[in-house]
Amino acid sequence: MAHRRVSRRHFLIGTATAGAALALGAREAPAQKKAANLRLWILKTYVEPTNKAIEASAQRWAAKHGGTVTVEYFTFEDMQTKYVAAIENKNTPDVGQLETSAPARFAGMGQLLDLGGFAKQIESQVGKPPANVAPVNIVDGKTWAIPWYIMAPFWYVWRDEFEKKNVKLPTTFEEAKQAAQALNRPKDNFYGLGQSWNRTADGYGVMQSLMYSYGAAWTSKEGKYRSIKTPAMQNAMRWATDIYKEGIQPADTLTWTGSGNNENFIARNIAQTSNGPSITFAMENAVAKATDAADRKKKEEALANHMALPHPGGPDGRRMWAIAMSFGIFKNSKDPESAMSLVAHLLSPEETLGVMKDSYGQFAPVLDKGRAASRDYFNKNENYRTFGKAAEWFVPTGWPGPITAAAAEVQASNVLTDAPAKVIVDKWSVDQAIEWEDKKIKEIYGTLGA
Amino acid sequence: MRLPRDTGAAFLFLSPLLVLVVGLIAYPFARALWLSLTDKLVGYPERFVGLRNYAYLLDDDTFHEVVKNTLVFTVGSLILKVLTGLAMALVLNAVWRWRNFFRGLFLLPWITSTVIIALTWRWMFDAFPGRGFFNSVLLDAGLLGRPIAFMATPAGAMFAVIVANWWRAFPFFGVSYLAGMQAIPRELYDAASVDGAGAWERFRHVTLPGLKHILIVTIVLSFILTINDFNIVYVMTRGGPGTATQVFATYSYEVAFNQLRWGRGVTISIFLVPALVMAIALVSRYLLRDRE
Repeated sequence: MAHRRVSRRHFLIGTATAGAALALGAREAPAQKKAANLRLWILKTYVEPTNKAIEASAQRWAAKHGGTVTVEYFTFEDMQTKYVAAIENKNTPDVGQLETSAPARFAGMGQLLDLGGFAKQIESQVGKPPANVAPVNIVDGKTWAIPWYIMAPFWYVWRDEFEKKNVKLPTTFEEAKQAAQALNRPKDNFYGLGQSWNRTADGYGVMQSLMYSYGAAWTSKEGKYRSIKTPAMQNAMRWATDIYKEGIQPADTLTWTGSGNNENFIARNIAQTSNGPSITFAMENAVAKATDAADRKKKEEALANHMALPHPGGPDGRRMWAIAMSFGIFKNSKDPESAMSLVAHLLSPEETLGVMKDSYGQFAPVLDKGRAASRDYFNKNENYRTFGKAAEWFVPTGWPGPITAAAAEVQASNVLTDAPAKVIVDKWSVDQAIEWEDKKIKEIYGTLGA
Repeated sequence: MRLPRDTGAAFLFLSPLLVLVVGLIAYPFARALWLSLTDKLVGYPERFVGLRNYAYLLDDDTFHEVVKNTLVFTVGSLILKVLTGLAMALVLNAVWRWRNFFRGLFLLPWITSTVIIALTWRWMFDAFPGRGFFNSVLLDAGLLGRPIAFMATPAGAMFAVIVANWWRAFPFFGVSYLAGMQAIPRELYDAASVDGAGAWERFRHVTLPGLKHILIVTIVLSFILTINDFNIVYVMTRGGPGTATQVFATYSYEVAFNQLRWGRGVTISIFLVPALVMAIALVSRYLLRDRE
């Protein structure tokens, strides 16, 4: 067969016609969205089933939408490091769980998408967070993240120790100290209290709860620097340092890492400590892993004997700093729509409930429908009923002002816990330590502003 | 002309090395130096602030503490390493049987992961009843009524991190000194003995001068590594209690990653450069002198 020669003109006409036909065909075809491929960063908590439940929930979304979700973990320890490295390398995830101060910090850096519209959609589907939690995600009137749950500290005590000595269960820091004095038995290596001023949330978190409950704050309501050289701060600092001077704590308390108080409480070396429900998780888990009937009975008794009380209050009320976890979507995300879809899926009451049931009480949902769905779960026993109220007493970093980058840096600089350490370790006076702390805070606000 | 052609070829052959040196050493160093002159915050563009970071640190009481801690940590570790390294080498040099076995055995700390070493020593000094090794032994032996919180005091915590750092590095000193001792001619010892020198005199007048260069090189190298040490202090104490064991590397990390003040964090590290340059110059001088 002889080949017909195609002229350049015919070739151009032919390709143009074919191109137009293809283009028309594409426009008419139903929009086929490319499968989403998202990176999700979540906090790895001490309660492994919670981590697995969140991961499983994300994978359910991926299966439903024909995409993939790569779940990566950060821990309490490397939370800052991972985000800092990702931000500087422009390698942020699509969706990231953000702790209390992170939305303000990252929004200030221009890293987060403004989720104002999406927040309204979520509000219509799942409801609003309580008024004291909502400001965590709002900076300058814009919403940068959607709150999911609160991981709060509670005041853990051994019920039998209090009953034996007929000591009142504490409701304030002062009562907790008095109880510690009454329960202290150093000769038996048993101490009334275990509160470390270390560089974890067990240190700087409790210090903030203490300060705020005593009415001591480093900002005004507008978020401007305010001096902490006040009688309220002196009282808070006295409490923080007297518990070390009075010998009511194990001698190595200041050196405890994040798990030190858990271990010492569970081992019954201390009568009271502030901690999240990971203690309850460990004790419930111990029952599940009991080797025989006698072992099981012993562990069940211990479980029934441990109490999680509301965090103590002070002369100015009960204000509890906690980790408020939210979802933020990073500007670098190549597929913000899918990222929002994933967040909406995770926040749905069904998925929230699924994760919460594997959380041993440490996951207290904050959105209306999530809270409503969790009511039965938190009615399991007295400890769980307390866990369920976590959001009630919550105050964020930098109370009474809004969270700002400067307030977040005050917490991150460890100045809040280094100040009592100066009194305990370096034998400074309370006033000297407050003076030093105030100077550091002022410097931070001087360079970062509000 | 031949010269330009040779020069071109030389540049061609040197270019991979040049790229490596510029890319991996010169650029990062120049960048660090530049960052130290800026107010760089994570997530924000840097702004030139001149020597403000240096002035801030010179006035910062925590930084003064850090300088003091770093010196105590480095010098304390070095003294222990030299003394035990010499002791190890002397013993191994005098023993013929099983020498290679012991040499291998003593190298174990040197090849073990630093994090494992730090965690192990943290456990050894732990005051948690029934867990800390020293406390358990002393309590079980009836020598203690209550556990001692070794790491709760500034001195105890500093001692603990020095011990961990020493334990990791002393085999390097020991093996280096042993190699040096084996290179000293036997005749020198024989001659010294004939002249009536005892063990101490032989050590002082034969062994030590024979090890002079190895001593200087190991001390300076270890000085550089120790002054920059991060892992042991971070894992064992996080710089605490308070700021009692905060050293350059941990403080730099805290300022850069927790406070997000990258410029200031880098400046903390840059403060070490003059000391390190002097140390490197000293080692290079001795190494080059040996070659000559």
